Order: sequence, then structure tokens, then C-alpha cells
Amino acid sequence: MKPETLLLPTEKCTLGCPVMDRCLGGGIPCKSITEIVAESGSGKTQLCLQLSLSAQLPPSHGGLSASSLFLHTEFPFPSRRLHQLSVSFQSLHRQALNNNNPSDNIFVQSVHSADQLLDIMPKIESFLANSRTQLPVRLIVIDSVAALFRSEFENTPGDLKRRSSIFFAISAKLKALARSFDLAVVVTNQVVDFVGSGEGVNGVRVGNLGSLYSSGRRVCPALGLAWANCINSRVFLSREETVNSYAGRGEDGYVYMQTRRRLCVVFAPHLPYSSCEFVIRRDGVFGVEPQVQEDHGSSR
Amino acid sequence: METEVWRLPISATQRGKLISAGYTSLSSLSSVSTSLLARDLNITDSEAIEILRVVSGKNSVDGGHAIVKGGQSAWDMLHEEESMRRITTSCAELDNILGGGISCREVTEIGGVPGIGKTQLGIQLAVNVQIPPHCGGLEGKAIYIDTEGSFMVERVLQIAEAYIEDMAEYHRFLYKDSRASPVETQGKDILESIYYFRVCSYTEQIALINFLDKFVSEHKDVKLVIIDSVTFHFRQDFDDLALRTRVLSSMALKLMQLAKKFSLAVVLLNQVTTKYTEGSFQLSLALGDSWSHSCTNRVILYWNGNERYAYIDKSPSLRSASAPFSVTGRGIRNSDSSCKRSKLMHSSE
Repeated sequence: MKPETLLLPTEKCTLGCPVMDRCLGGGIPCKSITEIVAESGSGKTQLCLQLSLSAQLPPSHGGLSASSLFLHTEFPFPSRRLHQLSVSFQSLHRQALNNNNPSDNIFVQSVHSADQLLDIMPKIESFLANSRTQLPVRLIVIDSVAALFRSEFENTPGDLKRRSSIFFAISAKLKALARSFDLAVVVTNQVVDFVGSGEGVNGVRVGNLGSLYSSGRRVCPALGLAWANCINSRVFLSREETVNSYAGRGEDGYVYMQTRRRLCVVFAPHLPYSSCEFVIRRDGVFGVEPQVQEDHGSSR
Repeated sequence: METEVWRLPISATQRGKLISAGYTSLSSLSSVSTSLLARDLNITDSEAIEILRVVSGKNSVDGGHAIVKGGQSAWDMLHEEESMRRITTSCAELDNILGGGISCREVTEIGGVPGIGKTQLGIQLAVNVQIPPHCGGLEGKAIYIDTEGSFMVERVLQIAEAYIEDMAEYHRFLYKDSRASPVETQGKDILESIYYFRVCSYTEQIALINFLDKFVSEHKDVKLVIIDSVTFHFRQDFDDLALRTRVLSSMALKLMQLAKKFSLAVVLLNQVTTKYTEGSFQLSLALGDSWSHSCTNRVILYWNGNERYAYIDKSPSLRSASAPFSVTGRGIRNSDSSCKRSKLMHSSE
């Protein structure tokens, strides 16, 4: 047994947007697990798809020159959206990519249960080890991990114990793969409505934010405290519907609503608290440069 | 030898005065008279007597009193405890409740929720163990056993660079002359003094801990072993809890022996779990009740409003107390509010 050298910096994979990258200290770090937690419709899946595309960029463009493995647990896989993103991605980075279709470098596998995920881990390992893909696989996405645990487990002490043992088994396996193949691992998680008083679940505060709000409701990440111990970094995406103060009430009598989205670092071993606003457009997910003067009521 | 004076169980101010007056070795103190020392250090005679008493005591202990080889009297043990070296946490209030920092020859467990700063504290200690003796440190190396993959080199470098700046400033303050700091340390050197092991299963973890004795025998300058976290691999695949308990307690025993044998500090980071007792869920440190006997000291990190706090949950020699701390870009530091408080006190004077 020999100690490892610490003189090599951790590689990062760009999210495909400089503003969001800056917020995360350069992107998603390799050799660790990053969780993106948000309610549905907040852009988790889109961010993951964009990440799978960006990973193909060469390191000079912030990528890993790598293909990715996308494990989806929610159906159907959003292939149409991936196609849309990949077309705009291709036109944006024509020089950096050789003329292949970027979608060819994303391998998709469906997973239906936690046990199945554990079962296919050896298969994943041999896929990573003897990859005959053009680019080596260096990104694994699991979208979402919460869906694997939605139905099978009861809220009894015995089942919760069994569930957390599976959390740790999955996490340990993913971390081992991340380390031996220098992978970035991203998992998404859902939120549940927060019930009760005090901070967090059972009064436990986890991370920088005393409380998380999305769509005007107080929420907390699904899967509880045990799972929070299984990940290295947690990023929260929130959304808030606000009345667009520019359009206001239109002549047609409709109120124009605008969705303000925000990305926050909840905890990460290498990052301080930071956050940025972002928008979802046809061509992808993009951070918004913070304006010097806040023009209208910010949602902070 | 500058280090000799640092080993004396006297207050930091007295030590500082001794050094700035040129008394750096025990021999320089052995022939000095009380009144001369009092004048040189600008202290009272009784304080000088006290220092000289400690010095002469130190000399005789070095001669050795043990009746049986390997045996120790309680007096010797007390002396040993007083002179026990500690590693500062870089947070004065936290050091205060810990009796000066994380102590060598003991196993200290630190637990808390994700994001509270366990890894940050671990990294800070791995850097602080390297503080040179003329600044009151151990000038040791650290072994960092990472079971979770949260050890980020860029973060260590940030903390190391802040440490280098602080040390340079402290050095200028301590020796008010223009003497430059003896060696230019770089962030890279700090990283090179941390032996980093990444462990991916509990079998690897046990094997590594069994190997530590040999490793430390070959690297005698190691003064700190950190396991971040001790828990992670023990929370899966253990249907046989009795086996888990046996494995954990033999691991704890080995670490305890290691701490004593090489007089180094062992710091175990632990996770928090919800425990189901009497129909309700309660927070407690992971690994169960029998594990809680395995460590000498137990510190719990928790949120109090928007502030991070540390609480001494268990210790044979420290009273239970809590203190705020903060995690900054430069590492673990005094809590903001305690700075504000002291500023307020100054302005109201």
C-alpha cells in the first residue's frame, strides 16, 4: 500500500455554460458523486443531457473528451429533447468536435429498481474497462435515483434500514468506479414537501441553506439523511413563478408569469456557498450573469 | 534546540516571553536565577519560580523515575498529559474547549451532518500538524485515509496557502526583527507532507489500518492519522451486526495502540444517523452504542441557527462545553459572531 500523490488537480467536466461552471468551481468534479436535487420541471434532466453532451468536448473547452453512460429510471427517455440539444450543441462547437453525431457518444440504459442497479454494476464495470467506444466513458448519470426507491420500501424501521444499506452499497460501488476510471458521477434526486416545524427533516439542517423553497413550497431532498451521507456534493435547483413586472397584466387580460430558476450549492467539500440564476431555452440550460443593479424584486 | 522550551507545560505567553528573551533550551534555564529570569522576562518573581520549578521537574523526569521498566507512576502520567502536544484547529474557541486542540496519544471522534464541515476540519488538521516548532506546532506529517472521496486537492491547496500566509505573519510577530522566515514553504510542500490513501471497501480499510503500524514505523514524523469517514463502508453489506461490532472494536483498539505507541493523534470522522428508539426517530452518531466506547474523546458538530457549533460530548479530561466555529475560504476559523462580539465589547469600552 502506497500513499497517492496529491499534486494532480481534480479534473472537472463543464456543464456547457461558463456562468454555471463558475458557480460550481469549474464544473462537475471527477472521482466523486454530485447530486442535483429539484422538483420535477426544474431542469434536472435537461442539465444532465447537456452535461452528457459537454463531456465530449476536449479538455481545452472544459470537457473530458469522453462519452457518457446515462442510466434513466423515469420513462420514457427524452430522446427528442436530446436530439434538439445535440443539434444546437453541434452547431455551437463545430470545430471542437469531429464531425460525429454527439448522440452516438451517449449510451442509454434503463433501470427499474435498486436491486437491478446493483445487479448491473459488474456489467457497467466491464463496459467501462473494455470500452470499444470511440471516446472512453468518463461520465455516469443516474436520472433519477429517487425513482428507484419510490414504491418498494415501506416507512417502517426495518425497511428504512434495508433501504439505507442499499444506498451505501450503490454509493460505494459508484465511488469505486469513479475512482478507478476517473469518472464524474451525477445523480438526480427529487424533493418531498417539508412537513413539520424546525429545520430540515426531523429538525436536521443539512448544508448551507436552512431551508429550501421551490414553487413557493418548503421542500427537502428525498431519501433522507442516510442518502445525504452517500454523496459528496449537493446542488439544488429551485423555481419560482413570479408575475412578469414588465409585461404585467397584458391588454388581453392575462397575467404573464415568468419562471425564475436558481442553482445553489447546498454542500460540497471544495466549494463555498454560491448560487446563480439560470434559464432553460430551446438550445439548452444557461446561467444568467448577475446584474449589478437588481432591476426588479429578486427572489432571495 | 528551540523545541525544548515548547515542550514545557507552561502558558503560551510565558513560552513566547522565554523565546523572545533568548531562553530557547532547557540548559539555558538550568543555571539562571529567579530574579534574573523575572527581570529578563518582565514577569513577577513567583511566576519565574514557577517556570524554573517546571524546568527542573522536566529535567528529573527525563532522567526517569519508573520503578518497573515500562511502568509509570500517576505523577509521571500527569506530567506526560500536561506536556501532551496538541494540534490547533485554527479556531480559538474550539481550541479552548478542546484544551488547546486535538491531543496526541488519543483517539478523537468528530461527527456531524453532511455539509457541517467534518472534511474541512480534517483537512485543516492535516495542514496544522505541520506547523513548525518555533510557531508552537509539531512539525509532523499527516496520514489522510479517505473512504468517501471528499478530499479535494484544490481545497487543500487553498487552506495550505492561507496557512502559509498566516505562519509568515505569526513569525514576523513573534520575532519582531527583520529575520526572514527560515524556509520558504509552498503549497506543494504542504501537500507532500500529507500521505493520502483512498479506500474503496471495508476490507481495504481494515487492511490499511493493520498496515499503519509498519508505515508509521518507517515514517516516524507522522503525527496525525485522519479517517474520513470511519463509517462509510460499515453502513452496507453488514447483515451480521455482531461481526460488524467485532471488526469495529478491533479496528478501534489498533488505532488506540497506534496513538499511544507513536504518540500521534488519531481523528475519526463519523456520520450522523437517525436512530429509532421508543417509537420516535432521534439523531445520533452512526455505528451504534458499542462503538461509542471506542474513542477517547467525542466531538459533535451541529448547526445552531445559521452558525456552526462544536460540542464536547465525551471526554475523560475535558468538561462538556460548546463553541462556535466557521468554515471560511481560508479554512476553519473563529466564528464571525464571536469576532463581532469582541468588536462590540471593544467599541463599548
